[in-house]
Amino acid sequence: MKIKHSLFTRRRFLNSMIGGWITAMGAAFLAPIAKFVFLPNKEPDEILLPKSDYENMEPNTVKLFSWGAKPGLLKMNDDRSYTAFVAVCTHLDCNVSYLPDQRKFFCACHDGWYDENGINIAGPPPTPVRQLNVALDGEHFIITKNKGNE
Amino acid sequence: MNIRKWFDDRLGINEISAFMTKKEIPQHKHTILYYTGSSILVFFFIQILTGILLAFYYKPTLELANESVAYIVNDVPLGWIIRSIHSWAATFMIALVFIHLLSIWITKAYRNPREMTWISGVLLLVISLAFGFTGYLLPWDELSLAATKVGTDIPRAIPIVGAWVTRLLRGGVDVTGETLTRLFTLHICVLPLFILMLLALHVYLIQKHGSSLPLDIEKKNISVKSIPFWPNFIYREAIIWLLLLGSLLTIAALFPHHLGSPADLMAPAPEGVKPEWYFLFLFQTLKIFPANILFIHGETIAVLLIGLMGVLFFCLPMIDNKPAEKKGKIITYAAYVFILYAVIMTVWSLL
Repeated sequence: MKIKHSLFTRRRFLNSMIGGWITAMGAAFLAPIAKFVFLPNKEPDEILLPKSDYENMEPNTVKLFSWGAKPGLLKMNDDRSYTAFVAVCTHLDCNVSYLPDQRKFFCACHDGWYDENGINIAGPPPTPVRQLNVALDGEHFIITKNKGNE
Repeated sequence: MNIRKWFDDRLGINEISAFMTKKEIPQHKHTILYYTGSSILVFFFIQILTGILLAFYYKPTLELANESVAYIVNDVPLGWIIRSIHSWAATFMIALVFIHLLSIWITKAYRNPREMTWISGVLLLVISLAFGFTGYLLPWDELSLAATKVGTDIPRAIPIVGAWVTRLLRGGVDVTGETLTRLFTLHICVLPLFILMLLALHVYLIQKHGSSLPLDIEKKNISVKSIPFWPNFIYREAIIWLLLLGSLLTIAALFPHHLGSPADLMAPAPEGVKPEWYFLFLFQTLKIFPANILFIHGETIAVLLIGLMGVLFFCLPMIDNKPAEKKGKIITYAAYVFILYAVIMTVWSLL
Protein backbone atom coordinates (compact mmCIF):
# COMPACT_ATOMS: atom_id res chain seq x y z
CA MET A 1 0.00 0.00 0.00
CA LYS A 2 1.32 3.41 -0.87
CA ILE A 3 -0.19 6.75 0.13
CA LYS A 4 -0.24 9.23 -2.72
CA HIS A 5 2.48 11.57 -1.43
CA SER A 6 4.63 8.91 0.16
CA LEU A 7 8.08 8.13 -1.27
CA PHE A 8 7.83 4.39 -0.67
CA THR A 9 5.34 1.76 0.31
CA ARG A 10 4.54 0.80 3.87
CA ARG A 11 5.96 -2.70 3.24
CA ARG A 12 9.26 -1.28 2.08
CA PHE A 13 9.43 1.02 5.08
CA LEU A 14 8.81 -1.88 7.47
CA ASN A 15 11.33 -4.11 5.68
CA SER A 16 14.05 -1.48 5.91
CA MET A 17 13.25 -0.90 9.58
CA ILE A 18 13.61 -4.59 10.37
CA GLY A 19 16.69 -4.91 8.14
CA GLY A 20 18.34 -1.97 9.86
CA TRP A 21 17.46 -3.40 13.25
CA ILE A 22 19.00 -6.79 12.39
CA THR A 23 22.15 -5.11 11.05
CA ALA A 24 22.53 -3.00 14.20
CA MET A 25 21.94 -6.04 16.42
CA GLY A 26 24.52 -8.01 14.42
CA ALA A 27 27.12 -5.28 14.80
CA ALA A 28 26.37 -5.05 18.51
CA PHE A 29 27.03 -8.79 18.83
CA LEU A 30 30.14 -8.80 16.65
CA ALA A 31 31.95 -5.96 18.43
CA PRO A 32 32.34 -7.75 21.79
CA ILE A 33 33.18 -11.02 19.98
CA ALA A 34 35.99 -9.29 18.07
CA LYS A 35 37.23 -7.75 21.32
CA PHE A 36 37.25 -11.18 22.98
CA VAL A 37 39.03 -12.88 20.10
CA PHE A 38 41.92 -10.42 19.67
CA LEU A 39 44.17 -10.62 22.72
CA PRO A 40 46.19 -7.50 23.57
CA ASN A 41 49.89 -7.50 22.73
CA LYS A 42 51.80 -9.05 25.58
CA GLU A 43 55.31 -8.08 24.54
CA PRO A 44 57.18 -6.54 27.48
CA ASP A 45 58.55 -2.98 27.47
CA GLU A 46 61.53 -3.98 29.55
CA ILE A 47 62.86 -6.97 31.41
CA LEU A 48 65.59 -7.46 34.00
CA LEU A 49 68.17 -10.23 33.72
CA PRO A 50 70.38 -11.10 36.73
CA LYS A 51 73.93 -9.96 35.95
CA SER A 52 75.45 -13.07 37.55
CA ASP A 53 73.79 -15.35 34.97
CA TYR A 54 75.20 -13.55 31.95
CA GLU A 55 78.50 -11.87 32.95
CA ASN A 56 80.70 -14.94 32.54
CA MET A 57 80.01 -15.40 28.85
CA GLU A 58 82.81 -15.81 26.32
CA PRO A 59 83.14 -13.24 23.52
CA ASN A 60 81.30 -14.25 20.36
CA THR A 61 78.72 -16.36 22.21
CA VAL A 62 75.05 -15.89 22.94
CA LYS A 63 72.77 -16.77 25.84
CA LEU A 64 69.04 -17.24 25.72
CA PHE A 65 66.46 -15.18 27.61
CA SER A 66 62.69 -14.87 27.30
CA TRP A 67 61.39 -11.75 25.62
CA GLY A 68 57.70 -12.31 26.32
CA ALA A 69 56.75 -15.38 24.31
CA LYS A 70 59.72 -14.87 21.97
CA PRO A 71 63.28 -16.02 22.50
CA GLY A 72 65.87 -13.29 23.04
CA LEU A 73 69.61 -13.70 22.63
CA LEU A 74 72.14 -11.69 24.63
CA LYS A 75 75.37 -11.67 22.67
CA MET A 76 78.80 -10.75 23.96
CA ASN A 77 80.78 -9.00 21.26
CA ASP A 78 84.55 -9.25 20.78
CA ASP A 79 85.11 -6.05 22.79
CA ARG A 80 83.09 -7.62 25.65
CA SER A 81 80.18 -5.25 25.07
CA TYR A 82 76.67 -6.73 24.90
CA THR A 83 74.01 -6.66 22.22
CA ALA A 84 70.53 -8.12 22.61
CA PHE A 85 68.45 -9.51 19.77
CA VAL A 86 64.92 -10.80 19.43
CA ALA A 87 65.92 -14.18 18.00
CA VAL A 88 63.10 -14.31 15.50
CA CYS A 89 63.54 -14.34 11.74
CA THR A 90 62.11 -11.28 10.00
CA HIS A 91 61.00 -13.42 7.08
CA LEU A 92 58.32 -15.71 8.53
CA ASP A 93 58.83 -15.64 12.28
CA CYS A 94 60.87 -18.80 12.88
CA ASN A 95 63.32 -18.77 15.79
CA VAL A 96 66.91 -18.18 14.65
CA SER A 97 70.10 -19.57 16.15
CA TYR A 98 73.61 -18.08 16.37
CA LEU A 99 76.45 -20.04 14.83
CA PRO A 100 79.62 -18.77 16.60
CA ASP A 101 82.13 -20.43 14.25
CA GLN A 102 80.54 -18.81 11.21
CA ARG A 103 79.72 -15.57 13.11
CA LYS A 104 76.23 -15.62 11.64
CA PHE A 105 72.62 -15.93 12.69
CA PHE A 106 70.80 -18.68 10.85
CA CYS A 107 67.13 -19.46 10.25
CA ALA A 108 66.54 -23.10 9.32
CA CYS A 109 63.01 -22.61 7.99
CA HIS A 110 63.85 -20.97 4.66
CA ASP A 111 67.65 -20.77 4.80
CA GLY A 112 67.93 -17.16 6.02
CA TRP A 113 71.29 -15.71 7.09
CA TYR A 114 72.28 -12.63 9.12
CA ASP A 115 75.79 -11.43 9.99
CA GLU A 116 77.03 -11.17 13.59
CA ASN A 117 75.38 -7.77 13.96
CA GLY A 118 72.03 -9.17 12.90
CA ILE A 119 72.09 -7.63 9.41
CA ASN A 120 70.33 -9.79 6.80
CA ILE A 121 72.91 -11.00 4.28
CA ALA A 122 71.42 -13.99 2.44
CA GLY A 123 68.18 -15.82 1.80
CA PRO A 124 64.70 -14.40 2.07
CA PRO A 125 64.86 -12.20 5.23
CA PRO A 126 63.86 -8.66 4.22
CA THR A 127 65.24 -6.74 7.23
CA PRO A 128 67.80 -7.20 10.04
CA VAL A 129 66.75 -9.11 13.18
CA ARG A 130 65.33 -6.80 15.83
CA GLN A 131 67.80 -5.39 18.30
CA LEU A 132 66.97 -4.50 21.88
CA ASN A 133 68.74 -1.97 24.11
CA VAL A 134 71.01 -3.34 26.81
CA ALA A 135 71.99 -1.36 29.87
CA LEU A 136 73.82 -2.50 33.00
CA ASP A 137 72.40 -1.29 36.28
CA GLY A 138 73.88 -2.71 39.47
CA GLU A 139 73.05 -6.39 39.59
CA HIS A 140 70.91 -6.47 36.46
CA PHE A 141 71.01 -6.17 32.73
CA ILE A 142 68.05 -4.03 31.69
CA ILE A 143 66.71 -5.05 28.29
CA THR A 144 64.38 -2.48 26.74
CA LYS A 145 62.58 -2.04 23.47
CA ASN A 146 64.52 -0.24 20.79
CA LYS A 147 62.07 2.39 19.60
CA GLY A 148 63.75 2.60 16.21
CA ASN A 149 62.98 -0.94 15.03
CA GLU A 150 59.85 -2.33 16.63
CA MET B 1 -0.74 -50.35 9.80
CA ASN B 2 1.96 -50.30 7.20
CA ILE B 3 5.17 -48.96 8.79
CA ARG B 4 6.69 -47.87 5.50
CA LYS B 5 3.55 -45.95 4.62
CA TRP B 6 3.54 -44.29 8.05
CA PHE B 7 7.07 -42.98 7.52
CA ASP B 8 6.43 -42.13 3.87
CA ASP B 9 3.45 -39.95 4.77
CA ARG B 10 5.64 -38.00 7.17
CA LEU B 11 9.08 -37.98 5.51
CA GLY B 12 8.36 -38.54 1.82
CA ILE B 13 10.87 -41.44 1.57
CA ASN B 14 9.25 -42.93 -1.51
CA GLU B 15 10.01 -39.73 -3.37
CA ILE B 16 13.69 -40.01 -2.41
CA SER B 17 13.99 -43.69 -3.31
CA ALA B 18 12.19 -43.03 -6.61
CA PHE B 19 14.75 -40.31 -7.31
CA MET B 20 17.62 -42.66 -6.48
CA THR B 21 16.41 -45.44 -8.78
CA LYS B 22 15.58 -43.01 -11.57
CA LYS B 23 18.93 -41.23 -11.34
CA GLU B 24 21.21 -42.32 -14.18
CA ILE B 25 24.98 -42.18 -14.45
CA PRO B 26 26.24 -41.70 -18.01
CA GLN B 27 28.88 -44.14 -19.27
CA HIS B 28 31.76 -42.74 -21.31
CA LYS B 29 35.56 -42.64 -21.28
CA HIS B 30 35.67 -40.25 -18.29
CA THR B 31 33.15 -42.13 -16.11
CA ILE B 32 35.97 -43.13 -13.75
CA LEU B 33 36.16 -39.49 -12.61
CA TYR B 34 32.64 -39.69 -11.18
CA TYR B 35 33.98 -42.03 -8.51
CA THR B 36 36.33 -39.47 -6.94
CA GLY B 37 33.57 -37.52 -5.20
CA SER B 38 32.11 -40.36 -3.19
CA SER B 39 35.59 -41.62 -2.30
CA ILE B 40 36.30 -38.23 -0.74
CA LEU B 41 33.15 -38.70 1.34
CA VAL B 42 34.37 -42.09 2.55
CA PHE B 43 37.57 -40.53 3.88
CA PHE B 44 35.61 -37.63 5.33
CA PHE B 45 33.53 -40.04 7.41
CA ILE B 46 36.68 -41.87 8.52
CA GLN B 47 38.07 -38.51 9.64
CA ILE B 48 34.94 -37.75 11.66
CA LEU B 49 35.01 -41.13 13.37
CA THR B 50 38.75 -41.27 14.14
CA GLY B 51 38.74 -37.56 15.04
CA ILE B 52 36.05 -38.09 17.68
CA LEU B 53 38.00 -41.05 19.06
CA LEU B 54 41.24 -39.05 19.27
CA ALA B 55 39.43 -36.16 20.97
CA PHE B 56 38.47 -38.50 23.83
CA TYR B 57 42.13 -38.59 24.97
CA TYR B 58 43.78 -35.53 23.43
CA LYS B 59 44.42 -32.50 25.65
CA PRO B 60 44.94 -29.18 23.81
CA THR B 61 47.25 -27.40 26.24
CA LEU B 62 50.88 -26.36 26.13
CA GLU B 63 51.89 -28.81 28.86
CA LEU B 64 49.82 -31.83 27.85
CA ALA B 65 49.38 -31.78 24.05
CA ASN B 66 52.51 -33.71 23.09
CA GLU B 67 52.24 -35.94 26.16
CA SER B 68 48.61 -36.85 25.45
CA VAL B 69 49.41 -37.76 21.83
CA ALA B 70 52.26 -39.95 23.11
CA TYR B 71 49.76 -41.49 25.54
CA ILE B 72 47.32 -42.22 22.71
CA VAL B 73 50.08 -43.81 20.63
CA ASN B 74 51.77 -45.80 23.41
CA ASP B 75 49.14 -46.65 26.02
CA VAL B 76 45.63 -46.47 24.61
CA PRO B 77 44.66 -49.84 23.07
CA LEU B 78 44.91 -49.49 19.26
CA GLY B 79 45.63 -45.78 19.76
CA TRP B 80 48.62 -45.91 17.41
CA ILE B 81 46.54 -47.13 14.48
CA ILE B 82 43.67 -44.72 15.12
CA ARG B 83 46.09 -41.80 15.05
CA SER B 84 47.88 -43.20 12.02
CA ILE B 85 44.58 -43.67 10.16
CA HIS B 86 43.53 -40.10 11.02
CA SER B 87 46.73 -38.62 9.60
CA TRP B 88 46.89 -40.91 6.56
CA ALA B 89 43.20 -40.52 5.74
CA ALA B 90 43.83 -36.76 5.66
CA THR B 91 46.49 -37.35 3.02
CA PHE B 92 44.20 -39.63 1.01
CA MET B 93 41.32 -37.18 1.28
CA ILE B 94 43.33 -34.14 0.19
CA ALA B 95 44.89 -36.09 -2.68
CA LEU B 96 41.43 -37.11 -3.88
CA VAL B 97 40.13 -33.56 -3.49
CA PHE B 98 42.94 -32.36 -5.77
CA ILE B 99 42.22 -35.12 -8.32
CA HIS B 100 38.49 -34.35 -8.16
CA LEU B 101 38.94 -30.63 -8.76
CA LEU B 102 41.58 -31.02 -11.44
CA SER B 103 39.46 -33.57 -13.32
CA ILE B 104 36.55 -31.15 -13.25
CA TRP B 105 38.82 -28.37 -14.48
CA ILE B 106 40.17 -30.52 -17.33
CA THR B 107 36.79 -31.94 -18.41
CA LYS B 108 35.13 -28.53 -17.87
CA ALA B 109 32.35 -30.06 -15.79
CA TYR B 110 31.81 -26.65 -14.19
CA ARG B 111 30.06 -25.30 -17.30
CA ASN B 112 26.74 -23.51 -17.04
CA PRO B 113 24.64 -24.28 -14.94
CA ARG B 114 27.16 -25.87 -12.54
CA GLU B 115 29.16 -22.78 -11.55
CA MET B 116 27.93 -22.82 -7.96
CA THR B 117 28.85 -26.52 -7.65
CA TRP B 118 32.42 -25.55 -8.59
CA ILE B 119 32.47 -22.58 -6.20
CA SER B 120 31.19 -24.67 -3.29
CA GLY B 121 33.81 -27.26 -4.25
CA VAL B 122 36.64 -24.73 -4.15
CA LEU B 123 35.42 -23.59 -0.72
CA LEU B 124 35.42 -27.24 0.37
CA LEU B 125 39.04 -27.49 -0.85
CA VAL B 126 39.94 -24.42 1.23
CA ILE B 127 38.28 -25.94 4.31
CA SER B 128 39.98 -29.29 3.73
CA LEU B 129 43.36 -27.53 3.58
CA ALA B 130 42.43 -25.57 6.72
CA PHE B 131 41.67 -28.88 8.45
CA GLY B 132 45.12 -30.11 7.50
CA PHE B 133 46.80 -26.92 8.64
CA THR B 134 45.04 -26.70 12.02
CA GLY B 135 45.52 -30.39 12.67
CA TYR B 136 49.24 -30.27 11.94
CA LEU B 137 50.03 -28.21 15.06
CA LEU B 138 48.06 -30.36 17.50
CA PRO B 139 50.79 -32.96 18.28
CA TRP B 140 52.86 -29.94 19.38
CA ASP B 141 56.25 -31.23 18.32
CA GLU B 142 59.23 -29.23 17.06
CA LEU B 143 58.42 -29.50 13.38
CA SER B 144 54.73 -28.74 13.74
CA LEU B 145 55.48 -25.67 15.85
CA ALA B 146 57.94 -24.24 13.32
CA ALA B 147 55.63 -24.99 10.39
CA THR B 148 52.72 -23.34 12.19
CA LYS B 149 54.80 -20.26 13.02
CA VAL B 150 55.55 -19.89 9.32
CA GLY B 151 51.98 -20.67 8.23
CA THR B 152 50.34 -18.22 10.61
CA ASP B 153 52.89 -15.54 9.73
CA ILE B 154 52.20 -15.69 5.99
CA PRO B 155 48.93 -13.67 6.14
CA ARG B 156 50.92 -10.82 7.75
CA ALA B 157 52.35 -10.07 4.32
CA ILE B 158 48.88 -9.06 3.09
CA PRO B 159 48.60 -5.27 3.23
CA ILE B 160 46.25 -3.67 5.81
CA VAL B 161 44.29 -6.68 7.13
CA GLY B 162 47.18 -9.18 7.25
CA ALA B 163 48.47 -8.42 10.77
CA TRP B 164 44.96 -8.86 12.16
CA VAL B 165 44.51 -12.22 10.47
CA THR B 166 47.79 -13.41 12.01
CA ARG B 167 46.69 -12.21 15.47
CA LEU B 168 43.31 -13.86 15.02
CA LEU B 169 44.89 -17.21 14.10
CA ARG B 170 47.53 -17.10 16.82
CA GLY B 171 45.48 -15.66 19.63
CA GLY B 172 48.09 -12.94 20.07
CA VAL B 173 51.20 -11.66 18.35
CA ASP B 174 53.17 -14.89 18.85
CA VAL B 175 52.50 -18.59 18.59
CA THR B 176 51.85 -19.71 22.17
CA GLY B 177 49.60 -22.09 24.08
CA GLU B 178 46.71 -19.84 23.04
CA THR B 179 47.40 -20.74 19.40
CA LEU B 180 47.19 -24.44 20.20
CA THR B 181 43.82 -24.16 21.94
CA ARG B 182 42.52 -21.89 19.21
CA LEU B 183 43.56 -24.09 16.30
CA PHE B 184 42.11 -27.09 18.16
CA THR B 185 38.76 -25.31 18.46
CA LEU B 186 38.83 -24.43 14.76
CA HIS B 187 39.78 -28.02 13.90
CA ILE B 188 37.06 -29.79 15.86
CA CYS B 189 34.26 -27.22 16.04
CA VAL B 190 34.33 -24.36 13.54
CA LEU B 191 35.62 -26.15 10.44
CA PRO B 192 33.30 -29.19 10.85
CA LEU B 193 30.29 -26.84 10.98
CA PHE B 194 31.32 -25.09 7.78
CA ILE B 195 32.29 -28.25 5.91
CA LEU B 196 28.96 -29.94 6.70
CA MET B 197 26.97 -26.93 5.51
CA LEU B 198 28.97 -26.63 2.29
CA LEU B 199 28.87 -30.36 1.72
CA ALA B 200 25.08 -30.31 1.97
CA LEU B 201 24.93 -27.53 -0.64
CA HIS B 202 27.46 -29.30 -2.88
CA VAL B 203 25.65 -32.67 -2.80
CA TYR B 204 22.27 -30.99 -3.29
CA LEU B 205 23.56 -29.16 -6.38
CA ILE B 206 24.97 -32.39 -7.82
CA GLN B 207 21.54 -34.05 -7.45
CA LYS B 208 19.80 -30.99 -8.90
CA HIS B 209 21.95 -30.76 -12.03
CA GLY B 210 22.88 -34.43 -12.48
CA SER B 211 26.21 -35.68 -13.84
CA SER B 212 27.92 -33.42 -16.32
CA LEU B 213 28.70 -34.87 -19.74
CA PRO B 214 32.06 -34.32 -21.43
CA LEU B 215 32.07 -31.35 -23.80
CA ASP B 216 32.54 -33.31 -27.04
CA ILE B 217 29.63 -35.65 -26.28
CA GLU B 218 27.37 -32.77 -25.32
CA LYS B 219 28.32 -30.83 -28.45
CA LYS B 220 27.65 -33.70 -30.84
CA ASN B 221 24.39 -34.32 -29.06
CA ILE B 222 24.81 -38.09 -29.29
CA SER B 223 23.01 -40.20 -26.74
CA VAL B 224 25.27 -42.06 -24.32
CA LYS B 225 24.62 -45.26 -22.48
CA SER B 226 23.90 -44.88 -18.81
CA ILE B 227 23.46 -47.09 -15.77
CA PRO B 228 21.10 -46.62 -12.81
CA PHE B 229 22.65 -44.89 -9.82
CA TRP B 230 21.04 -47.46 -7.50
CA PRO B 231 22.15 -50.20 -7.33
CA ASN B 232 24.50 -50.53 -10.35
CA PHE B 233 26.65 -47.45 -9.84
CA ILE B 234 26.77 -47.73 -6.05
CA TYR B 235 28.07 -51.32 -6.31
CA ARG B 236 30.83 -50.19 -8.64
CA GLU B 237 31.68 -47.36 -6.25
CA ALA B 238 31.76 -49.80 -3.34
CA ILE B 239 34.58 -51.71 -5.08
CA ILE B 240 36.66 -48.52 -5.24
CA TRP B 241 35.85 -47.68 -1.61
CA LEU B 242 37.03 -51.10 -0.46
CA LEU B 243 40.25 -50.83 -2.47
CA LEU B 244 40.96 -47.40 -1.00
CA LEU B 245 40.12 -48.56 2.54
CA GLY B 246 42.46 -51.52 2.14
CA SER B 247 45.29 -49.26 0.96
CA LEU B 248 44.62 -46.83 3.81
CA LEU B 249 44.76 -49.51 6.51
CA THR B 250 47.86 -51.13 5.02
CA ILE B 251 49.78 -47.86 4.80
CA ALA B 252 48.57 -46.69 8.23
CA ALA B 253 49.71 -49.93 9.81
CA LEU B 254 53.07 -50.07 8.04
CA PHE B 255 54.00 -46.38 8.33
CA PRO B 256 52.54 -44.95 11.54
CA HIS B 257 52.80 -41.20 11.72
CA HIS B 258 55.90 -39.96 13.55
CA LEU B 259 55.66 -37.96 16.79
CA GLY B 260 58.60 -35.61 17.40
CA SER B 261 59.94 -34.33 20.69
CA PRO B 262 57.80 -31.71 22.47
CA ALA B 263 57.91 -28.20 21.01
CA ASP B 264 59.91 -25.54 22.84
CA LEU B 265 58.84 -21.96 22.13
CA MET B 266 62.36 -20.66 22.86
CA ALA B 267 64.36 -23.17 20.81
CA PRO B 268 65.71 -22.31 17.37
CA ALA B 269 63.74 -23.77 14.48
CA PRO B 270 64.93 -27.30 13.66
CA GLU B 271 66.41 -27.94 10.24
CA GLY B 272 64.23 -29.49 7.58
CA VAL B 273 61.07 -27.66 8.57
CA LYS B 274 58.40 -28.69 6.11
CA PRO B 275 54.66 -28.35 6.02
CA GLU B 276 52.42 -31.22 4.94
CA TRP B 277 53.06 -32.37 1.36
CA TYR B 278 50.04 -30.52 -0.06
CA PHE B 279 51.50 -27.17 1.00
CA LEU B 280 55.00 -27.91 -0.31
CA PHE B 281 54.54 -26.22 -3.70
CA LEU B 282 53.37 -23.02 -1.96
CA PHE B 283 56.21 -23.33 0.58
CA GLN B 284 58.74 -23.59 -2.23
CA THR B 285 57.16 -20.64 -4.07
CA LEU B 286 57.61 -18.49 -0.96
CA LYS B 287 61.17 -19.69 -0.60
CA ILE B 288 62.32 -18.72 -4.09
CA PHE B 289 61.04 -15.14 -3.92
CA PRO B 290 63.89 -12.70 -3.22
CA ALA B 291 63.77 -10.54 -0.08
CA ASN B 292 62.95 -7.35 -1.95
CA ILE B 293 61.58 -6.56 -5.39
CA LEU B 294 61.60 -2.82 -6.19
CA PHE B 295 61.41 -1.79 -2.49
CA ILE B 296 58.48 -4.12 -1.76
CA HIS B 297 58.94 -7.22 0.37
CA GLY B 298 59.21 -10.25 -1.92
CA GLU B 299 57.00 -12.12 0.52
CA THR B 300 54.17 -9.60 0.06
CA ILE B 301 54.36 -9.99 -3.71
CA ALA B 302 54.42 -13.79 -3.41
CA VAL B 303 51.40 -13.86 -1.10
CA LEU B 304 49.45 -11.44 -3.29
CA LEU B 305 50.28 -13.48 -6.41
CA ILE B 306 49.17 -16.70 -4.73
CA GLY B 307 46.00 -14.91 -3.58
CA LEU B 308 45.34 -13.70 -7.14
CA MET B 309 45.76 -17.26 -8.44
CA GLY B 310 43.27 -18.40 -5.80
CA VAL B 311 40.70 -15.81 -6.92
CA LEU B 312 41.15 -16.81 -10.59
CA PHE B 313 40.71 -20.48 -9.61
CA PHE B 314 37.56 -19.61 -7.67
CA CYS B 315 36.09 -17.74 -10.68
CA LEU B 316 37.20 -20.33 -13.23
CA PRO B 317 33.70 -21.20 -14.58
CA MET B 318 32.99 -17.51 -15.18
CA ILE B 319 36.36 -16.94 -16.90
CA ASP B 320 35.96 -20.09 -19.00
CA ASN B 321 32.70 -18.90 -20.55
CA LYS B 322 33.41 -20.15 -24.08
CA PRO B 323 34.53 -23.69 -23.30
CA ALA B 324 34.38 -25.00 -26.87
CA GLU B 325 36.51 -22.23 -28.36
CA LYS B 326 40.22 -21.44 -28.32
CA LYS B 327 39.99 -19.69 -24.95
CA GLY B 328 38.53 -22.84 -23.41
CA LYS B 329 41.41 -24.93 -24.78
CA ILE B 330 43.98 -22.53 -23.31
CA ILE B 331 42.28 -22.81 -19.92
CA THR B 332 42.50 -26.61 -20.13
CA TYR B 333 46.22 -26.34 -20.90
CA ALA B 334 46.53 -24.05 -17.86
CA ALA B 335 45.44 -27.02 -15.72
CA TYR B 336 48.35 -29.09 -17.06
CA VAL B 337 50.73 -26.17 -16.52
CA PHE B 338 49.50 -25.91 -12.93
CA ILE B 339 50.03 -29.65 -12.34
CA LEU B 340 53.52 -29.44 -13.83
CA TYR B 341 54.35 -26.40 -11.68
CA ALA B 342 53.06 -28.04 -8.48
CA VAL B 343 54.98 -31.26 -9.16
CA ILE B 344 58.25 -29.45 -9.99
CA MET B 345 58.00 -27.19 -6.93
CA THR B 346 57.15 -30.13 -4.64
CA VAL B 347 60.08 -32.21 -5.90
CA TRP B 348 62.40 -29.20 -5.63
CA SER B 349 61.36 -28.57 -2.02
CA LEU B 350 62.20 -32.19 -1.16
CA LEU B 351 65.72 -32.06 -2.67
